[in-house]
Amino acid sequence: MPTSSAAIISRPEELTERLSSGGGTPTGGGGDGGGEEEEAALVRAIREVKNQIIGNKTKKLLYLELGAVPKIAAALVSPAASAALLVQAAAAVGSFACGVEDGRLLSHPEEKVVDAAARSLKMIFQSTVAPKYDVLQEKNMNFLLSLLNSENENVTELAATIITHSCQRNAEQMALADAGVLQRLTSLLGGFLNQRDACLQSITAIVKNNSKVASKFVIMANGKAFNSLVELMKDRNPRTRLLACVCLIAIGNSYPYFFRDIQTKTKMILILLELLEEHGRVGDEAPSVLTNLIADNEELHKQAVSNNAVEKLCNFLGKSPIEARRLEGVLLALAELCSKLENSRSLLMSLQVSHLIVDALKHDNADVRVAACTCIKNIFRSLKNLSAGNFSSDSIVVTLIQLLHDRCTSVQFAALGAICNVSVNFTTRKSSFFQYGGVSQLIQLSKSMDSILRLKSVSALRNLMFLLDRKDKDNILIELSVPMLMSLICDDEHLIQEQALTLVGNFVDGCGDSIKHLFAEDNEILNVISRQLCNSCAPGVCIQGMFALSNIAAVNESLKAAVMNCVIPPETDNSTPLFILKFLQNKDKSLRVASLWCILNLVYPGCESSSSRIARLKDVGIISQLNTMVNDPCLDCKLRVRMVLEKCLDIKNSQNDQ
Amino acid sequence: MPVRVVESSSPSQSSGQDPNSGHASPPSCSLLSVGRCFAGTQNVSSFQKDEAWKVNVRIHGCDLEHGYLCGTMEALNVPLADTPVVTFWEGEIVDAKNYTFFTGKWEATPEDDIKHWSKFQSFTPLLSQIEADGGKSLDLSNYPYIFMRWKEQYFVNVGIDCGLTIAGFYYVCFSCSDGSISGFYYDPNSSPFQKLELKCSNGQQLGFTFSSYELQ
Repeated sequence: MPTSSAAIISRPEELTERLSSGGGTPTGGGGDGGGEEEEAALVRAIREVKNQIIGNKTKKLLYLELGAVPKIAAALVSPAASAALLVQAAAAVGSFACGVEDGRLLSHPEEKVVDAAARSLKMIFQSTVAPKYDVLQEKNMNFLLSLLNSENENVTELAATIITHSCQRNAEQMALADAGVLQRLTSLLGGFLNQRDACLQSITAIVKNNSKVASKFVIMANGKAFNSLVELMKDRNPRTRLLACVCLIAIGNSYPYFFRDIQTKTKMILILLELLEEHGRVGDEAPSVLTNLIADNEELHKQAVSNNAVEKLCNFLGKSPIEARRLEGVLLALAELCSKLENSRSLLMSLQVSHLIVDALKHDNADVRVAACTCIKNIFRSLKNLSAGNFSSDSIVVTLIQLLHDRCTSVQFAALGAICNVSVNFTTRKSSFFQYGGVSQLIQLSKSMDSILRLKSVSALRNLMFLLDRKDKDNILIELSVPMLMSLICDDEHLIQEQALTLVGNFVDGCGDSIKHLFAEDNEILNVISRQLCNSCAPGVCIQGMFALSNIAAVNESLKAAVMNCVIPPETDNSTPLFILKFLQNKDKSLRVASLWCILNLVYPGCESSSSRIARLKDVGIISQLNTMVNDPCLDCKLRVRMVLEKCLDIKNSQNDQ
Repeated sequence: MPVRVVESSSPSQSSGQDPNSGHASPPSCSLLSVGRCFAGTQNVSSFQKDEAWKVNVRIHGCDLEHGYLCGTMEALNVPLADTPVVTFWEGEIVDAKNYTFFTGKWEATPEDDIKHWSKFQSFTPLLSQIEADGGKSLDLSNYPYIFMRWKEQYFVNVGIDCGLTIAGFYYVCFSCSDGSISGFYYDPNSSPFQKLELKCSNGQQLGFTFSSYELQ
């Protein structure tokens, strides 16, 4: 039966009511049919609110007064919200935010309206999907300043929230700083709790990664602004302490020249370690703030370790349940502490938590899996443990290999990073890589279209090949195949070429005479290496290429001849440019050293054709070049040059004696 | 390389590090690189009899920036041992930055240090400077010898109840020219000045080879 259109438009009061009763908590359904129906009703209600407020400021005001915004925002942050619900909620929130700039709501004569509007708008701007407020427009900036200068603390808090949400680019940071926003925010730090925390977040957003603005801030009011942040580190409120630390770290990272005071940083470490114990958001965020503070700083790592950071962080690994975000933060903080210091690695090992880290490798949350991989990667930087085969149980290897199939590429990258280090293992543990299909999987990934996957998998194979048993080396090469190896040497990415060439060097080293299949098909692999050495401009490729040739030249007489033909092709005359001469004259001492070892192996005593090779080296000007290098500024080069010239002389003398 | 237990001892743990000086690192030498093998002997003669054990050393890690080196040492014909005995050792490279000639731990006095270092001919030119300022102003970055202390940390393939001890440590001098290594074992409870002599080993190969890994 047809009805009038007026009949289907709900009254705002009724509609606001439906936002609660229609499943204000969309998680309530728990997956049963009732839950789905409730969520569908909520979607319909939000859609209707959205349609009513678009372009209608009176309606917006009305819904704000009725308290509709917090209910819609709650749907946005609900972890169980469906995509349909999120879309409608985000659109509705966006519609509420539109028109904030005219300030009608916030300058309303009724204090209650102003408070309601400010609180609602604050919730909107706390949502990541809310539209950015363009502070580069003059009228917007003036409006923002007027909010900051308001007597109403809800309004100033809103202003700070808008800044935190909208200030991302350098130009925005500069504009806000030039407009005096930092001074105003600092003066508000003495206010009530929420305002203070909002201002701390705003200051962080304005100084983050901007040395110019950060340097302005630290000298503001003769350093009083900066000191007020240091004071807030000791605030009674845990969240304020955390936010003060975040702000100081942002300043320190943006302007390291100023913030070198190790004492303040040590204090921060102690505060953050205390905050780990807090429940909720503060405790969840504390480990990642600690990681940011000590990142890449060995001195701060030592300070953290001496204050029992490793033990305190490890305490959380075994706790259940633990928020995924907190677990991720704890693992990354442990990873950071193990990135440089052997002490931290040993300590972590002694705490017997490896099984908990392996459990984290299997966590539902991909970020936790990445963090666990990073932690394992850094623990395995310990040569002491790699040599002892400590902490290399099959369960780690098996789980890491499984993660190579992970649906998230970031997890695959992280797992490959960990495998790279685990595969350096100096004990017989390497065999588990074969047993559980790790080698096959790495070879598959080395064929990936993704260059990072290719690079990391070839790096892992190269590490696995290091000092491996001859039989296992052969197995890898057979499965990888020589054509595939050649294609990796010729990869578009020079870092992959470099790893592939090192893989060849590691394969040949110690293989003795039994490497025939690498040189099947007319030494095609030597031609490929030689082509790269002629054409590549990447020093790493040339260095590893020369070391690969050195190793090949140490195998037997026929391969010495083959390498000789690579280095000095048979048709060469004095006018032909030779890559080896270019390398000997290169300013990169590692390239000169690698080239000298190759020459040394070509003139190695006791080989039947060494003397004819010396003659050939002389003919093309290499010996003359070496004579100019007897006082090379690099000691290693100088000593290798002298070694080559001595060998040449010995061989010449022994010929004369015969 | 382990030696026979004479009496158990616990080395002191005070640090020998001196991070204050800003000198350049010792020369990077391609003969002192990961994977490299050295072979030779350690003289373990006592008053009762002359004895030398065959020894193989392999470098596992090298970090010149931190003055760190590590590897394994395999003693081949150890009496009373069924198999070769493998130990893992860590080295301190004397670079006047991370470590000085003075050990400051492992029961070695400055006099013990000088007595042992002085056994190396290549140390003689440095002695006066070390007596003057402890060697702090020495620049070893272009010196063709690298001085190290190697301390065995654990047995790799046998238990600690194998009747052998690794309580002492080695004063080591490495020649950058040919990769030869001389060393003297120091343990107040073992025979003094047990000499270690190693040469760079190429095995069956007709030249020098290089392997490497890269930690992420």
